[in-house]
Amino acid sequence: MNKLTPSDLEKMHKASKASSDGPKDWIKVGMSSCGIAAGAEDVFNFFIEEVKKRNLQIEIKKCGCAGACYAEPLVEVSVSGLPPVVYGAVNKEVATKILEKHVISKMLVNDCIFEVLG
Amino acid sequence: MYTKVILVKDTDLKREDKTREFYTHLLDYLRGSNLHAQIQVVRVADIGVYDEGLVLKILPDKIVYCNVQDSDIKRIVDSTLDQGKVIGDLVFKPKAKQHRIVLRNCGKINPESIEEYIACGGYLGLKKVLGELGQQKLIEEIKISGIRGRGGAGYPTWMKWNFAREVESAEKFVICNADEGDPGAYMDRSVLEGDPHSVIEGLIIAAFAIGASKGYFYIRAEYPLAVERINKALKQAYDYGLLGQNILGSSFNLNLEIRLGAGAFVCGEETALISSIEGKRGTPHPRPPYPSVKGLWGKPTVINNVETLANIPAIVSNGGKWFAQIGTLTSKGTKVFAVTGKVKNSGLVEIAMGATLREIVMDICGGTLSGKPIKAVQTGGPSGGVIPEALLDTPVDYENLQKLGSIMGSGGMIVMDEDDCMVDIPKFYLGFCVEESCGKCAPCRIGGFQMLVYLNKISEGKGKLEDLEQMRRLAQAMQKASLCGLGQTASNPVVSTLRYFETEYNEHILNKHCPAAKCNSLVTYTIMGDKCKRCGLCVTNCPVQAISGDKEKGYLIAPEKCVKCGRCVDVCKFKAISKK
Repeated sequence: MNKLTPSDLEKMHKASKASSDGPKDWIKVGMSSCGIAAGAEDVFNFFIEEVKKRNLQIEIKKCGCAGACYAEPLVEVSVSGLPPVVYGAVNKEVATKILEKHVISKMLVNDCIFEVLG
Repeated sequence: MYTKVILVKDTDLKREDKTREFYTHLLDYLRGSNLHAQIQVVRVADIGVYDEGLVLKILPDKIVYCNVQDSDIKRIVDSTLDQGKVIGDLVFKPKAKQHRIVLRNCGKINPESIEEYIACGGYLGLKKVLGELGQQKLIEEIKISGIRGRGGAGYPTWMKWNFAREVESAEKFVICNADEGDPGAYMDRSVLEGDPHSVIEGLIIAAFAIGASKGYFYIRAEYPLAVERINKALKQAYDYGLLGQNILGSSFNLNLEIRLGAGAFVCGEETALISSIEGKRGTPHPRPPYPSVKGLWGKPTVINNVETLANIPAIVSNGGKWFAQIGTLTSKGTKVFAVTGKVKNSGLVEIAMGATLREIVMDICGGTLSGKPIKAVQTGGPSGGVIPEALLDTPVDYENLQKLGSIMGSGGMIVMDEDDCMVDIPKFYLGFCVEESCGKCAPCRIGGFQMLVYLNKISEGKGKLEDLEQMRRLAQAMQKASLCGLGQTASNPVVSTLRYFETEYNEHILNKHCPAAKCNSLVTYTIMGDKCKRCGLCVTNCPVQAISGDKEKGYLIAPEKCVKCGRCVDVCKFKAISKK
């Protein structure tokens, strides 16, 4: 890996910012101690497997704890055409619903959203 | 394809949940006006607003309506959804809002990817420091920002840095204090796990400010994931040339290493922490000399808390003035609290200084879990105090909390309702400090133990009124004569409960009665004959066979056999067992 210079850093910042603003769909799973204790690891692996199985064009990402520890595992879903939302207390059952309803049919899932992060 | 989404949730806990009912009504109306193909209605589990009746949130416009009635459906659909007009009298006015500086990236970026951190503006602060600011201006900027240490004592960060910078020494050190040991506090862990690079960047900037070339992360071994993520992040930073020789092409060199804490609470105290890194027994030393003058291996050392360091990159990038606008006169910026205990939404809350405790607990965290009124809030962990319900409207900052007999501490906040006993709580905290006291100085070692003896006596119903006076005297001695912060503050929970809840102590001493039914020696369990349905569930669940009787005659608890474990209360479906 080349050592960065100040201008490299600036370039990287701009380039990655531009690419992350794109319309790409993603699912983020909160994977800090609190999330993992609540079962986030299983949910994360489940998403990876299912996305492969169903051949979906969506990226599964990890992130840290967003702060709403009581509702872990937290999963944020951003799919083009729908507002990004956070699902709480996600298990495999909810995860399946997220994939089938939210990602494939483009409809938000009832009774699972935690709109706590404003 | 939907163009709008309406989130629905009934937030009134006093009545039956009307979410589903309203959901159907709204759907029916939308169908009637032929809008159901464009607008999706969604029931949500939590809408982030509490005790405001039926709440609607319309996305993507982000309009929030509260206390909505069925009769409002027509005007909401016709004017807001159809014509885009906002209905003034329904709009929800948020009372308190989180303000995220420290947690800016937590839950947003992948903590294991330096690229994502850079995409969010990471390390640009460091670039600015190395390229434009230089030492003097950097410290000036931090001074303008007014940031004070987030570890508890609230010492101005710029002063610490400036002292260490002014000392002439061939070698200087920086240390990140991540030995977070307060029961119920885990802000630092979340930052280390969720955004490790922000702490690393903060530490690099601190090192540059004082001219250190070596630094340590002192992380408690109980945080394996935090250690793993910091380790990964350090490696990435080395790979990118953000650590090591000639950082970002400048002449500045810095090496960072991790040291694991072996589980002693006192090692969070800076002089004890230094001993621990040096490989000695983790006991505190008298100050002065302060570590900024004579610290690790006798060299000038700056020790900053995780949260302080995570603030630094944001301050550098946005300028000290920006930071100084947030907060109160004496306490600038934000503070992260770990809100736990009997609260509905436990978790991390970052608010601007000056928000009240009531806003944090009621508006952001949704009030108590049981719906019972709050009795008190404990801040600052074992060194802090208990703040009664009546004073919850105090704006949070270092000075105000101190005036109330508590401290900001590292940011633990434990919410208590009327089921918590104000003799039991300080007993727990003092017990913790007695256990963790290193034993080096007598006031802490002996004073803490003696005070605990008094508390135990009181909770067993053997206390005398003179004991309270004796405890106050002991507390004063400990505050004045202890060597380090642990002993000086260990009596705070006792002193503050004595200050606000003396009647509860008196009730224990004079009437041998625990109002919260927490102190086992003063509690008796009885079966109320009129409520008992004689199902026999308590009999089968009693671990010591203290319940006798049969279905005909009813059941009785033998007080001499009862160990007061509370299982019968838990299993009784008819609430027929009283605990008094």
